[in-house]
Amino acid sequence: MPSSNNPGQSRLEPQPGETIDRAAPVEFRFDGRPVRAFRGDTVASALYAGGTRVFSRSFKYHRPRGLLCCAGNCPNCLVTVDGEPNVRACVRPVEPGLRVRSQNAWPSLRLDLLSLLDRLHWLMPVGFYYKALHRPKALWLLARRLIRRVGGLGSIDINAAHHTEFSSRSLHADVAVVGGGPAGMAAALAAAETGAAVTLIDDQPSLGGHLRYTRLQAVNPRQAGNPKDELAAAVANAPNIHALNDATAFGLYQDNLLAVHTPGGLVRVRAKQVVLATGVQETPLLFDNNDLPGIMLTSAARRLASLYGIRPGREAVLAISGNPAATAEAYQTALELLDAGIRITAIVDASDGASGEAAQALRDRGVTILTGHRIARAVGRGRLKAAVAAPVGSTGYADGRRIRCDLLCMSGPLYPMDALLQQMGVSQPGVTLAGCATGVSGATGLDEATRQGRDAGLRAANPAPNPAPLPEPLPAPPAPMPAGKGGRAYVCFCEDVSAHDIAQAIDEGFADVQTLKRYTTVTMGPCQGKMCGRALSAICAARRPLSSAEWETKDRPEVSGGGDLFTTSRPPWRPVPLAVLAGRERMPLKRTPMDRIHRQLGATMVESGPWLRPHNYGSPADECAAVRQRVGIIDVGTLGKLEALGIGAPQLLDRIYTHRFSDLPAGRIRYGLMTSDNGVILDDGTVTRLAADRYFITTTSGNADVIEEWFNQWNAGGDNCAHIVNVTAAYGAVNVAGPKARETLAKLTAIDLSPDKFRYMRSARGEVAGVPSLLLRIGFVGETGWELHFPAEYGEYMWNAIMEAGREFGISPFGLEAQRILRLEKGHVIVGQDTDAVSTPLDVGSEWAVRFDKADFIGRGGLSIAAARPAQQRLVGFIMPPSTAGSRIVPEDGTPVVSGGRPIGRVTSARISPTLGRGFGLAWVPPHLAEEGASIQVLIDHRPVSATVTLQPVYDPQGLRLRS
Amino acid sequence: MSFLLKCPNCGERSVDEFRFGGEVVSRPAPGAAESDWSSYFYFRPNAAGVQQEWWNHRYGCGRWFYALRDTTANAVQTTFWPGQPPPSEQP
Repeated sequence: MPSSNNPGQSRLEPQPGETIDRAAPVEFRFDGRPVRAFRGDTVASALYAGGTRVFSRSFKYHRPRGLLCCAGNCPNCLVTVDGEPNVRACVRPVEPGLRVRSQNAWPSLRLDLLSLLDRLHWLMPVGFYYKALHRPKALWLLARRLIRRVGGLGSIDINAAHHTEFSSRSLHADVAVVGGGPAGMAAALAAAETGAAVTLIDDQPSLGGHLRYTRLQAVNPRQAGNPKDELAAAVANAPNIHALNDATAFGLYQDNLLAVHTPGGLVRVRAKQVVLATGVQETPLLFDNNDLPGIMLTSAARRLASLYGIRPGREAVLAISGNPAATAEAYQTALELLDAGIRITAIVDASDGASGEAAQALRDRGVTILTGHRIARAVGRGRLKAAVAAPVGSTGYADGRRIRCDLLCMSGPLYPMDALLQQMGVSQPGVTLAGCATGVSGATGLDEATRQGRDAGLRAANPAPNPAPLPEPLPAPPAPMPAGKGGRAYVCFCEDVSAHDIAQAIDEGFADVQTLKRYTTVTMGPCQGKMCGRALSAICAARRPLSSAEWETKDRPEVSGGGDLFTTSRPPWRPVPLAVLAGRERMPLKRTPMDRIHRQLGATMVESGPWLRPHNYGSPADECAAVRQRVGIIDVGTLGKLEALGIGAPQLLDRIYTHRFSDLPAGRIRYGLMTSDNGVILDDGTVTRLAADRYFITTTSGNADVIEEWFNQWNAGGDNCAHIVNVTAAYGAVNVAGPKARETLAKLTAIDLSPDKFRYMRSARGEVAGVPSLLLRIGFVGETGWELHFPAEYGEYMWNAIMEAGREFGISPFGLEAQRILRLEKGHVIVGQDTDAVSTPLDVGSEWAVRFDKADFIGRGGLSIAAARPAQQRLVGFIMPPSTAGSRIVPEDGTPVVSGGRPIGRVTSARISPTLGRGFGLAWVPPHLAEEGASIQVLIDHRPVSATVTLQPVYDPQGLRLRS
Repeated sequence: MSFLLKCPNCGERSVDEFRFGGEVVSRPAPGAAESDWSSYFYFRPNAAGVQQEWWNHRYGCGRWFYALRDTTANAVQTTFWPGQPPPSEQP
């Protein structure tokens, strides 16, 4: 049937609760054809109104599938919308210009040649791929590709522009209510009246629950107004109710954390109490061809008629086979359909007698009610033509009655939607059930639902140790009719598994529901058990030869254990896009106070830990030369900066560092190395004593927070006489180094910088360019230099002032790469680059910084043990041979050091030395090679190349320039 | 993992505000036998039940505290400051 251009075709007269705006046409495209809809339609309702009955092709057999649940639960209407696969068309609102495509069909949805597979279904029994196609091995590889191609769902268009930036936020509530039906709204209102902060989570576009699509008479014939609207208005007017619409609570986690999928992204709701008013859900009946388009849940037909004003069919059969509540709803639906001008060709009721007002009214209007009958099969090719009803208990179709229809409404058993409760186990404290979710027979009327809701809301707002009411025992769904020759009574619409398949799997020994699930894949498709879970359990229960307790007593090891009758419920309750779970990139990038200047200077920026730092300003070689010959400036604001304060600070530092700091005179600086208790190097930096009870500490870039925590953990529970304050963000810092550093800074400060007045490893406080600063005479690049720390807000000003002062001396900024080369020429170790998870100070030649004469320090135990044993590896410098034929030989970081073809160490840092004009670096080698002039082999391009070990810095080994 | 943890300073917060600091183990005295140090460095009881743990309120006040947590249920029984007895043992 061609899609119509008239959105009004097959629409009913305007319905009181319809969501569509008949004055606002909207056009979108489905498989290339234009489709006209009304604003308020979903993609599925618009297509259905235009005559579409086949919405998808099934997973395995490519059977045509039509609307089944119309509530976003089943897999039958999955489509691709604007490149996003597996969108449920029945809940996706129409928007102008949407490009909707059908999935899993070739060449088209209506003529899918792959539906040939349906004729071959007998070749593919349940679990066939576990049994067949394994020999020869190549066959499976081929078959796997083929199966993946013809089976499945939509495919992701990696070239399409996907919406991936979702936010995530957290909400806190006294009471969170899940479900916006009458019970949920009543619960929210009752809790809110006591003053509680309430979050109401509902997955529909507007509040109302089933009242949105059921006529009022069905709920409470005495009520004059519309209770849905009254409740919704009260909710909207309650200032302490935060209502989330279109929001699916898909997970309930420990301590009442609800994960909620909203159009804007993920919302985490942490509530003191949770009320689950999630209502009930219909499930399909089992009969042959129960998946023909035209067969849908009763609630689906009601939704189409009430919400979108659509005539769901012309001649309808209602199949009723459930508990009393479901039966009453079904008869009411029949009356509504009749009122809407749809012919009811028969009502097929499995119970023996149909009583009640609605049944009598239907009989009075001439509707045939077949009691004691059930549907045995549906007839039609591609869409429903007729249904065959047979007496309950008969086998086969022989005595069946054929009834013409193009719509078959299935009123199966109603089940509580209690998946969230099941996720946590039913004894979750702080969780209450209300309304139909308590059990099907619990809340049949509006009064009862709202009473339960109020009750639950009040209890949640004022919690007493009341156990949550547990769901009542559920009626088992009807056992399936004999499957006939085709075995086409589908339990699992997601993966095309029939009742016959399940029975066969049980006969093969998969009698436990957990193994049965895994073997047949029932409940593992997109609906995650919503349509099939209970039917699976029922068949399993009916066909198990013995109960689990009996199994245990009869000692039958061949049967795979008893287990529960229900599969395990796990989040997410509904599919959630991974992009929603991922949320935004949440790692913030830190920028120094001089960040803007680096960019203006054209720096190439690089991520270094949490920081963004200048890698170079054009030429690292030129930058090195500037530092060695003139003066350079580098932004070192990324250094971690801590202050240790209090009379206990000296003892704390003596405890944490391997070195001693209690004897450090004020104004002096000492290198600090800290290890974990087993002696492995954690961090290094400088410690400056500012006063008797105050130290200024630097840590490696990016390590400030970890080291702060390290200090605080060891300081916890002590006498509270020492405190660590993290001042990293408070101070900007630069290092000014080079032969002209002194002359540059002398122009900006009154502090005497002369060599005998401001010596190496000394500090001073004073003004530089008018800014209060801390000057540290240190430098890892091997030149005369000062590290300046000053309030961060003066960052740009200070940088510019120093650059201006140094202009006459040829000052140049230098970046990380130049610093790396210059440091390496001095043989300075970078913690984390040159050390790893087993490196001790003894291994890297820093014994001088370990004071074993201290009674205790963190690391003493491990280092004492290490010191008593021969070292396994040593970190040494090495120099590559002179360049040959214009090519300089430099190993990459990480290159193995080899001996006789076997790795015996590795290069940790290697660069070209501007001083030597040769490759050089640091490497771990066995102790016998850790000698001046030893020869080691470095593997470059799979060939060993000789290098010479050196234990001296390659630049200024005596440190004369540093101290000058 | 979504349980709540009570920082003795800030009150009950979601666990993702905290950093887990491992089990509380007693540190050998200086000069202890190598085997004692070795067990202290590398071995943890990892109890299936209640154990005492270090936690740090990293995205809050930044302070370290102890928690008694049942590892089989992620149920935190109590939290308290290092150097002080658990609340149940306090007078």
